[in-house]
Amino acid sequence: MSQRSAGLRAYVSESYRWLWVAFGVAVLVLPAVGTNYFVGVFTQALIYGLLAISLDIALGYTGLLSLAPAAFFGIGAYSVAKVVVDWGVSYWLGFPLAVVVAAVVAVAIGYGPIKRRIGEVYFVLFTLAFGVLAHDATYVATSLTGGSNGLGYFSPPSMLGVDLGGTVPYYYVTVLVVGALGIGLYALLRSDYGSVLHATRQNELRMRYLGYDTDREKLVAWVLSAVTSALAGALFVGTVGLAAPSMMSFELSGEVIIWTVVGGTGTFVGPFIAAIVLHIVNNYLGNVWPEGYLIVLGVLFVGFVFLLPEGVMGAIRNRLR
Amino acid sequence: MDLTPLLTSDQIITYALNGFSNGMILFLVASGLTLIFGLIGLINFTHGAMVALGGYLTLVFVGVTGSFWLSLVAAIVVVSVFGLLLERTILHHLYEEPLLGFLATFGIHLVVEELLSFRFGDQSRSLTAPFPGSMDLLGVAYPKHRLLIIAIGFAVALVIGLVLTRTRLGLEIHATAIQPDTAEILGVNSRKVYTLTFVLGTALAALAGGLVGPITSITPGMGTSYMVQAFLVIIVGGMGSFKGSFVVSIIVGQITAFGWLILAPTYVELTVFVAAMAFILYKPRGFFGKPEVFE
Repeated sequence: MSQRSAGLRAYVSESYRWLWVAFGVAVLVLPAVGTNYFVGVFTQALIYGLLAISLDIALGYTGLLSLAPAAFFGIGAYSVAKVVVDWGVSYWLGFPLAVVVAAVVAVAIGYGPIKRRIGEVYFVLFTLAFGVLAHDATYVATSLTGGSNGLGYFSPPSMLGVDLGGTVPYYYVTVLVVGALGIGLYALLRSDYGSVLHATRQNELRMRYLGYDTDREKLVAWVLSAVTSALAGALFVGTVGLAAPSMMSFELSGEVIIWTVVGGTGTFVGPFIAAIVLHIVNNYLGNVWPEGYLIVLGVLFVGFVFLLPEGVMGAIRNRLR
Repeated sequence: MDLTPLLTSDQIITYALNGFSNGMILFLVASGLTLIFGLIGLINFTHGAMVALGGYLTLVFVGVTGSFWLSLVAAIVVVSVFGLLLERTILHHLYEEPLLGFLATFGIHLVVEELLSFRFGDQSRSLTAPFPGSMDLLGVAYPKHRLLIIAIGFAVALVIGLVLTRTRLGLEIHATAIQPDTAEILGVNSRKVYTLTFVLGTALAALAGGLVGPITSITPGMGTSYMVQAFLVIIVGGMGSFKGSFVVSIIVGQITAFGWLILAPTYVELTVFVAAMAFILYKPRGFFGKPEVFE
């Protein structure tokens, strides 16, 4: 019996690998077969996938439910827009700027709550306040953010004779960045560091007895999550050419939470795939029945929290265990 | 030198009354939230949706019956029943899991809000006040409906305050909040206490939604902004502290009413948010929160 299940597991993880290869090939050949419109949608879907991963690092691995992933997403978007529109320097400088600003803000916001161990419920409320604060700030700090008009319009530059402003070239840039970050983060979280985070989430006191500085580990994961969100935002702004307050909105944060929970918190792959699928569904359902998407999403979400709190990916893993 | 006063006394009275009426609406939202949070430990995100639902149902019933008060009562009853059903079917399973509880209420909030915008559209609606016009108070003409809101707010505060401190039910709520197991052993039906508190909080949200209709616009998202502000109020006032939610609501109402003289309104809001964040960090139990109520 156990031999059979072991065989089954090996078979599944084998076909799993093939699934990933198939997915990778599909992603690479997509521009050749898909319409330009769909390539554009898929570009944004991949970026949202990265955003969902960033929340999963905080929520699924570290147990910190943040209601402000959109705030860091917006920081990334505004960094790039600021660099191009207001300062007129290279587009690519926006990315390191996004990382630095997001890291500094993340430490400033996260250090107090994590050091003082305010508990998960208070952390939720703390990030709620921070998220609304950041969103409001984009409207008032007009000299910095352009107020409700946002910062725009611009398009990504040319490189090596290729105009990255085009849908297909930018798609490949996105695939490259999301792929590299995704694989890098996956490797990091599969390493001992990921186990430390999982263990800390499950029994923090015990990890402290074992000599781990759990506050530091949580803060590092929190900053990592924020920086990933910011990079997603920096990539995203290239697809629309405008950094607007809506990128920092609570609605976006809410959607990210839904993707993450539906995909399965702490599974890394689940949130990524869920964000891609749900964004594509949103795009097509949004054309036929605009209000429908959020209703369907909400019902789906409540169903998941209630019946399948570990999400799709978590359920699959449990079944295989 | 010519000294003109910054504010005339009439203006001061008007601003203060504005602060009270806005603060009372905030109090109605925040008190329900704080009772639910303090007793159950649930971050109840459906609260904002209940405010909006209260507003829209009042609007619909006014169209049918023509009477504001009848409609308000009917809306409160319907929203309370809805809250009861939610609590009994879904939410009570999730009390042990604060994160899942928050996520579930967040999803329900989304569904209700989207259904409202699906049914009524996104444009704002408004209600006509049952007593239109203004009356003379301390030498200024002030809208009657806002005065009514102030009166209802104080009455609700008094009644619920008395229930919490003077009745058997209040005792049971306190006991359940402090030590649910011990309360259970001593014969408190904690399940009933949870349900009652949740429904009471929901009814207060619906009352706020209906009452606020004549002075602001009714939109599907109206509850969310009140709820976010109310969360900050209960943080500063102390989670689970009814008295705290009352005092801090009035303070926030007054700060917003007078604050824009010095700062732009958004900055006033930002200041309140920063204050709330500082409170979470350094005084998570707020001014009035008792450590036992919720850890």
